[in-house]
Amino acid sequence: MAMELEYDRSLYGVEHKAGPFEITDEIIDRANSSTGETGPAFLSDEGAREAGYRGRIAPPTLCCILVRQVSLPDVKVKFGRTQMHAGQRVEPKAPVYAGDRLTASSHLKDVYTKTGRSGTMVFIVWETTFSNQDGQVVAEVQESFAKRE
Amino acid sequence: MYLDMHSHSVSSDDSRATVEQYVKWIQVLRKRGHTVDGIVLTEHRKFDFDKDYSALASQYNVLVLKGSELDTRYGHFLVYGVTPALTREIDFSDVRMDARALMQAARRHDAIALPAHPGRFGIGLTDYIAQGESFDDVEIVERLNGGSRQGENERADELCQSHNLLGIGGSDAHLTSHIATCMTDFEADIRNESNLVDALLGKAFQPVWLEDIVNGASGS
Repeated sequence: MAMELEYDRSLYGVEHKAGPFEITDEIIDRANSSTGETGPAFLSDEGAREAGYRGRIAPPTLCCILVRQVSLPDVKVKFGRTQMHAGQRVEPKAPVYAGDRLTASSHLKDVYTKTGRSGTMVFIVWETTFSNQDGQVVAEVQESFAKRE
Repeated sequence: MYLDMHSHSVSSDDSRATVEQYVKWIQVLRKRGHTVDGIVLTEHRKFDFDKDYSALASQYNVLVLKGSELDTRYGHFLVYGVTPALTREIDFSDVRMDARALMQAARRHDAIALPAHPGRFGIGLTDYIAQGESFDDVEIVERLNGGSRQGENERADELCQSHNLLGIGGSDAHLTSHIATCMTDFEADIRNESNLVDALLGKAFQPVWLEDIVNGASGS
């Protein structure tokens, strides 16, 4: 008999909005500091212009930090007792500039089971799209959480 | 010909390697003197009917075939020759499916299913046999798996010897540079998934390590 996962399937198709996130120089400084980023385009307007941008840009992984500020509902998966963060992946779509105001829209992408060396796990996958003040999509972030037996 | 029978591209949830990266890396292996004729993409719990890698395969002269790696209640199983009818009969996402039913369904639909990394501690077929389960339809197992930990391929080897099973080899690559670390040496000339099933049923093959295959010859 197939393993029937119990969770709140009504969350599919529902968008959860968050923001705005003001992209200040201070936020970019902190993101650079956390990763040791030293690329001129991330440090100053001058460095960015020399690299062909209209102004200072944020590192592409900034949205991986911002996504943690998006409040997501409980998927109510009836499986296991322990939940852990299982990873992120980001797909940059356009530069994020200092001074931008980003908004986020998240939706439940998938809930699935898999088995491996450590037993059966359930993965909950959320997909978040970040857009700037002009409505341009700047990044898509996929974030996974795992529940273990 | 030498085929890597077990690999995962970005289509699987836990791989970061693209098919293009794999076929490009195979060019590097070839420059180093190794012979790699093709790979089989065995994505986790799915089959990619919609994916066509023929242009990449042609451009880089690498045979790119598609299969699946399914989770079952008796460990992971590699499936070759997947057809739409098989995917209608078997729910590929069901991690608790009975491997015996999978093997029988596969044969009914001209495909073949066989245990992946049977020596893997905790979830390999070896452990289930030790618990008293029997698998009469198993004739071939993945004897060499590039992702195995120390002792696991040896356990697969012992299983083959004790149960008189044939073995294939696959890298279980999830990263570009892991592709083709283990392969299967087929006597048959394989051009497509149907040929691959026939070659497996023909039983003229053996597992090999990449490092032993230089200029098309086994160094062992």
